[in-house]
Amino acid sequence: MEKDVAETKLRILREAIQSNVGVVRSSKVKPQGLPKRAPPLWFWGFLLIAIGAAAADFVVRQQEREEVKKMVGIQLDTLRGIQNQKSVAHLAVPSLVVSRGKDPSSHSAAVDMANPLLPVGSHLLNATTPLSALYQMNRTVLPLSVRRIVIDPGHGGKQHGAISESGVSEKDITLDIALRLRGLMENGSLEVFMTREADETLPLEKRVAFANANNADLFVSIHVNWMEPREIRPLETYYVGATNDPAVIKLASIENRDSGYSLSDYRRVLDKIYLDTRREESHRLAKAINGELYQSLSLINPELENRGVKMAPFAVLIGTQMPAVLAEVSCLSNEDDVKLLTNADYREKIAQALLRGILSYANNLNGSEKKVADLWKKPTKLSASE
Amino acid sequence: MEETNETLCIGIDLGTSRSSISASNGERHVIDSYVGWPLDMVGRKLVKKTVLIGREALDNRSMLDLRRPLERGVIKEGSAKDEEAVQELLRHLISLIGIKQKSKTRGKVRAVVGVPAEAFRVSRQRLRSAMDGVADSVMLVSEPFAVAYGLEALLHAMIIDIGAGTADFCVMQGRYPTEADQRTLPNAGDSIDERLLKLIQEHHPEAQVSIHMIRDWKEKWSFVGEPKSRVTVTVPTKGKATEFDITDEMRAACESILPPISETLIDLLSRVEPEYQEQVRNNIIVAGGSSLICGLPDALEKACSELGGGRVTVVKDPIFAGSDGGLSIARDASTADWERLSL
Repeated sequence: MEKDVAETKLRILREAIQSNVGVVRSSKVKPQGLPKRAPPLWFWGFLLIAIGAAAADFVVRQQEREEVKKMVGIQLDTLRGIQNQKSVAHLAVPSLVVSRGKDPSSHSAAVDMANPLLPVGSHLLNATTPLSALYQMNRTVLPLSVRRIVIDPGHGGKQHGAISESGVSEKDITLDIALRLRGLMENGSLEVFMTREADETLPLEKRVAFANANNADLFVSIHVNWMEPREIRPLETYYVGATNDPAVIKLASIENRDSGYSLSDYRRVLDKIYLDTRREESHRLAKAINGELYQSLSLINPELENRGVKMAPFAVLIGTQMPAVLAEVSCLSNEDDVKLLTNADYREKIAQALLRGILSYANNLNGSEKKVADLWKKPTKLSASE
Repeated sequence: MEETNETLCIGIDLGTSRSSISASNGERHVIDSYVGWPLDMVGRKLVKKTVLIGREALDNRSMLDLRRPLERGVIKEGSAKDEEAVQELLRHLISLIGIKQKSKTRGKVRAVVGVPAEAFRVSRQRLRSAMDGVADSVMLVSEPFAVAYGLEALLHAMIIDIGAGTADFCVMQGRYPTEADQRTLPNAGDSIDERLLKLIQEHHPEAQVSIHMIRDWKEKWSFVGEPKSRVTVTVPTKGKATEFDITDEMRAACESILPPISETLIDLLSRVEPEYQEQVRNNIIVAGGSSLICGLPDALEKACSELGGGRVTVVKDPIFAGSDGGLSIARDASTADWERLSL
């Protein structure tokens, strides 16, 4: 018996050491710097001239860069934002330099970085990538048009979500609003999918898998809040990201309760999200939706408190592979809000505001009024149906 | 064991609230994980030191730039001062066991340091860097694993190490625990402190309390379930000493960590191979400072009852269980292994 314990200890110890050796190796890797031998004088002269020329070119091309930036669609600001993220400070993030000559065939993009390959979507940028390749890449990284949307009514079945004192369940409200939103979209050319269409239990990972499997362009999850103190009537819209706000962490832990993900899963995925241009798009979508919701609902509900757009690690936002938001459209802890939510007209107003937010985002993304008209042929009358 | 006269093996449990060290020369020490630098000339003159560590730092906090440099068991991110504070903390721990850093006759120091079960790789690397100059070779292991190793609970056992910053879970199945065998929760001693402070401020708004007072009260009177006696504290209200009964607040705060801990316990148990689940259920070991909460084992056994019952025990020496386990690992590793882990 003692021999068995000793053998087990020895085996486990070897495994522990082996796992540490990996950390030692990676911590001993030094970034590649300039060679130790100083380069000759002509090199520095050449470098100075090159820097001067590049600086002059930079000023002249500033306007052109803006244009190219739009065309390429890669959010340089997002990349810089990523660079500023302390959590990924150990990762090199490139600066993208796009040069355009008179001849379109000479257009090229240079990626200057310590780490020469930055994964963007499924593509890798090499030291010089033809601009045409970037155009192609952009279409896969960020969709240029919104064609397919997944609406996710929060909770359902055994998972009631928040319940008001008077017994109104979050799962019923979210489903009703989602069905209304789908109804409003039926007149347009957007393909609408719903994660659930009835009162059924649906784990969060299945909602995520559904949106990903259907190659959705947008994912909108509808929820209703519950918050202390009960006098407050907050409106919030979330997109994916880490947060230090205890209230948001609490809310995320409640909403994620049935996710099937562990804390380590969240951490691993959140690490990747810092390198995810999708987050910036989710932010824009969240802003558009939150703005429309507040503008519309505050007319009926003057005490509505616009808490704006926030980041949170909700499971459905982490796992989805497209711009995704979670809207907390009202608050079931406040009985006045509950009264409004039990009114079909108010729920219809929420659905309409969600639709306007989605269209506003799509409009900016496409940069064309015409395309938006394709997306949604506005119904002649938005009526509240029971 | 390949210890020589020239080598010293140590185990360190670097905790958010307290840090302990156990050394092969028989020394064992625990300190509060606080580091403080005098704010100005007056402070320097009064404390007569350039840096204060542990309880001394806490007691003189009004004169210091006080740091609690560990957050959830790892170095706080983004602050050079906190990194420096961790190094000071480590140097101090090493000095407590009789090692002089700059001594030419100093032998080799081999250290095993416990980190949260799911600490980031980058956090581990930063901790390794902080150990540079403190030890010659360093091995980082998950805290509950260090406890399990020290207790030789290597097969069909679950360790729950509830500290201040994190509650770490680890199922031992006769192998070095993988990610699937481990969990880390942020619901631990600090979250109790925050909850207790909030409840007292809500129920007794006139009471003037600080987080340091809250921590002291928790360490003296924390409980779940039924209290042995009412918890009364004396705090100033507008400067006047006033007595308050905080029994209900203490219970509510302490019990706030039970649901996530019970859920994680049940979740990890359900992932164990079915034929071994009962054995693991009957071999749940709780360690860490927060394991001293009165009634905690009973509450966890109650959580196991819905699975068919279980047995929860608290380690004999919760404060040193992690560092003692680390010391066992350090002693058992061969010289060749330590050379691979040199800094």
